[in-house]
Amino acid sequence: MADPADELIDYICTQIIRRPGIKLTADTPLVSSGLIDSFSLVDVLSKLEEVTAMRIPASKVQPKDMDTVSLMLTTAERLGKPRK
Amino acid sequence: MSPSHAPVSIPYATLTEALAAAPEAQPFVTMWFDDDDECTFSFGEFRQWSNSQAALFSSHGLGKGDTVILIMPQGVALMAAFAGAMLLGAVPAILAYPTFKVEPAKYRFGLKGVSANLNAKLVVVDDSFPLEFLESVSLSDQSKLIRVSAVPPATEDVAAPQFRCHQDDLAFIQHSAGTTGLQKGVALSHGSVLRQLVHLGERLKIQSSDRVYSWLPLYHDMGLIACFVLPMVYHLHVVMQSPTDWVMQPESMLYLISRYKCTLSWVPNFALQFLARRVKPQDRKEYNLSSLRALTNCSEPVRAEGMDAFGTAFSSCGLQPAALQSSYAMAENVFAVTQSDINHGPRRIWIDFSKYQSERIAVIAEPDSDSAICFVSSGKCLPNNEVRIVSEKAESLPDDHVGEILIRSDSMLDGYYNRADLTALSMRDGWYWSGDLGFLLAGELYVTGRKKDLIIVGGKNIYPQDLEEIACGHPAIHDGRAVAFGCYNPDLGTEEIVIVAEMEESAALANSSTIERAVRTAIVEELGVAPRAIYLKPPRWIIKSTAGKPARSATREKLLVEHPELRIS
Repeated sequence: MADPADELIDYICTQIIRRPGIKLTADTPLVSSGLIDSFSLVDVLSKLEEVTAMRIPASKVQPKDMDTVSLMLTTAERLGKPRK
Repeated sequence: MSPSHAPVSIPYATLTEALAAAPEAQPFVTMWFDDDDECTFSFGEFRQWSNSQAALFSSHGLGKGDTVILIMPQGVALMAAFAGAMLLGAVPAILAYPTFKVEPAKYRFGLKGVSANLNAKLVVVDDSFPLEFLESVSLSDQSKLIRVSAVPPATEDVAAPQFRCHQDDLAFIQHSAGTTGLQKGVALSHGSVLRQLVHLGERLKIQSSDRVYSWLPLYHDMGLIACFVLPMVYHLHVVMQSPTDWVMQPESMLYLISRYKCTLSWVPNFALQFLARRVKPQDRKEYNLSSLRALTNCSEPVRAEGMDAFGTAFSSCGLQPAALQSSYAMAENVFAVTQSDINHGPRRIWIDFSKYQSERIAVIAEPDSDSAICFVSSGKCLPNNEVRIVSEKAESLPDDHVGEILIRSDSMLDGYYNRADLTALSMRDGWYWSGDLGFLLAGELYVTGRKKDLIIVGGKNIYPQDLEEIACGHPAIHDGRAVAFGCYNPDLGTEEIVIVAEMEESAALANSSTIERAVRTAIVEELGVAPRAIYLKPPRWIIKSTAGKPARSATREKLLVEHPELRIS
C-alpha cells in the first residue's frame, strides 16, 4: 500500500498545483505560502479521506489543520473515524 | 384534519415570548454530524441552555440594547447563545466561523470591518476559535471577548432573566449576503421578524407536524430565519447539519430528509443542480423524499434547469412535483418577499426573447417557438408586502416591463446598523431599492438578475446567467463553473462579452479551439450576440464564494490580471 503522505503529495502536485517542477515535502506550507488556494481544500480533504480510509467531519477542521500534508494526516488521526 | 396537522398561529409580541411558550418536551433541534455523533435538544433543554448563556453574558455586563457578536460553529451552542442574548434584551449578530476552506486574508478583512461597525459590548467565540484570527476582531475600550464551551451546562435550573422585550425593540442584526466589500448589518425588530413569520407561515400553511431540514449557515438569512427562528417561533423540530459537512457529503441532505421525514427545506438554486449531478442514479433508491411539502429555491434567480434537474433525478424517490417551490427573499425584509403557491409550485412562462432582450419587456410566446425562453416565477407577494418595478429614471413601470425591484412591507429593516449613509441610499420614501432586476406578470414576480451584473451589448440586455448556462451546456465544461461579464470597449461605445469557463478535465484543453467554437456558436444561436473572448481554464481555476458558487467579480479580476489585453484603456 502506498504511503498516505506520498499519495497526497502526488495528488496535490498533479491535480491541484499542476505546475511542472514543483517539489513538495510533507512539511511544505500550502495555503499560507500561496501554493494552493483554500477553495481547493474541499478536493484535498476528499483525497485525505480516501488515502486514510477515514471519514473526517469537515465542520471540525480548521484552516491551520490543512496547511501541510503532515498536518492533514495528524488531523485525520485526531478527528477521523474509520469509514463504514 | 387531525390535530397534529392543524395550522398554527403565533400570538406573541416578541421572539422571546414565543420561545418561552414552547412545549417543554417538544424536540427543537437535532444537530447531526454523522449517525454516531448527533444530539437532539427539546425546547425545555434549549431554554435551559439559553437561560444559562443569558446569565453568563449578564455577568459580563451585557444588557438591554447592547450588541453582542457571536462567532461560533454551526450548532446548538450558537443558537442558545443567540437566544440567551435576546433574553437579556441585547442584540446578537452571528458572524461566519472560519472553516478550513476560508481564504484567511479575506476572512480577516471581513471580520475586522464588520466587527468594527458593530462596536459590540461583548464578543463571544467558542473555545476552539483559532488564535490566528482573534487579532482581527475589532474591540473597543468598552468591549470584552469571552470564550464559551460548546457543551451544554450541567448545572441545575437557571431562571430566565426577568426582562421583557417589546415588539419595537431590536431583536438581532443579520448580515446581508453581499458579494463585494463588507457585509451590511441589517437591524431587525421583534415585531418585524414576527410579522414576516406570520405572513410566511400563512403562505406555507405551516402545521405543527412540520419538520425543517437545513445545512444553511446561521449567519445567512435563509439559515437564520427560515431554519432557526421560524422553527423556534412555530415550535417545530429542525434537523440541522453544518454547511461544510454538507459540502463534503451533499447526499447527507437527502439521507436526513428521508430519515426524519422532513417537510420543509430551503436551498439556493445551485444546490439543486449540484445534488442532481452528484448523487448517482443507482444511489437514489436509498432516499425517500415523499415527506417534503416545500423545498424552496431561493437566494439566487430561480432557473428552470435547476428545478428540472432535481425534479427528474429524484422523482423516483417520491418527490412530489409541487414540493419544488420558489421564493424571492432578502435579509433587508427579514427574509421572504414572495413565495410560490404551496399547492401547485411556481408558475412557468415562456416569453419572446428578442423583445425581452432589446425592449426589456416580457411578451408571452409559445413554449415551443424558437424565440421563447422560460422563466420560473418566484411567486406572489406575501401579505403586506408590495413590489414595484421602476425604470433607470425611477419611473414606475407597468406589468411585464423589466426594471429594478423595489420592496415595501411591514417587516422591513429598521436600517443598516451604524450605517445611516447606506440606509439612506437603499431606503427611499419607504421603499427598499433591491438592486435586483425583474418583472411582474399576473401578480407574480420574475427575477431576472442583478442590476450591476447586466451586460448591455449594443442596446441588448444580456444576463450573465444565460451566457454561463449555455457555456456549461458543453460536455467538456464543468457544470456551474463559468463566469460571464461585460468589458466596455470605448472604440465601439458598448460592452463586449467575456466568458471564462473551467474544463471538466485538463486534458480537454488540447481541444480548446473546437470547444470554444462550439460554445461561441451556441451563444450566437441562442442569444444573437457574439462574445469577444472565451477563455477555457483548467479545473479549479474559477474563484468560488464561501457558498461554493462562482464569485463573479473576484473571477473577473483574476482574469483581467492574467489577460491584461482585456483592459482596454
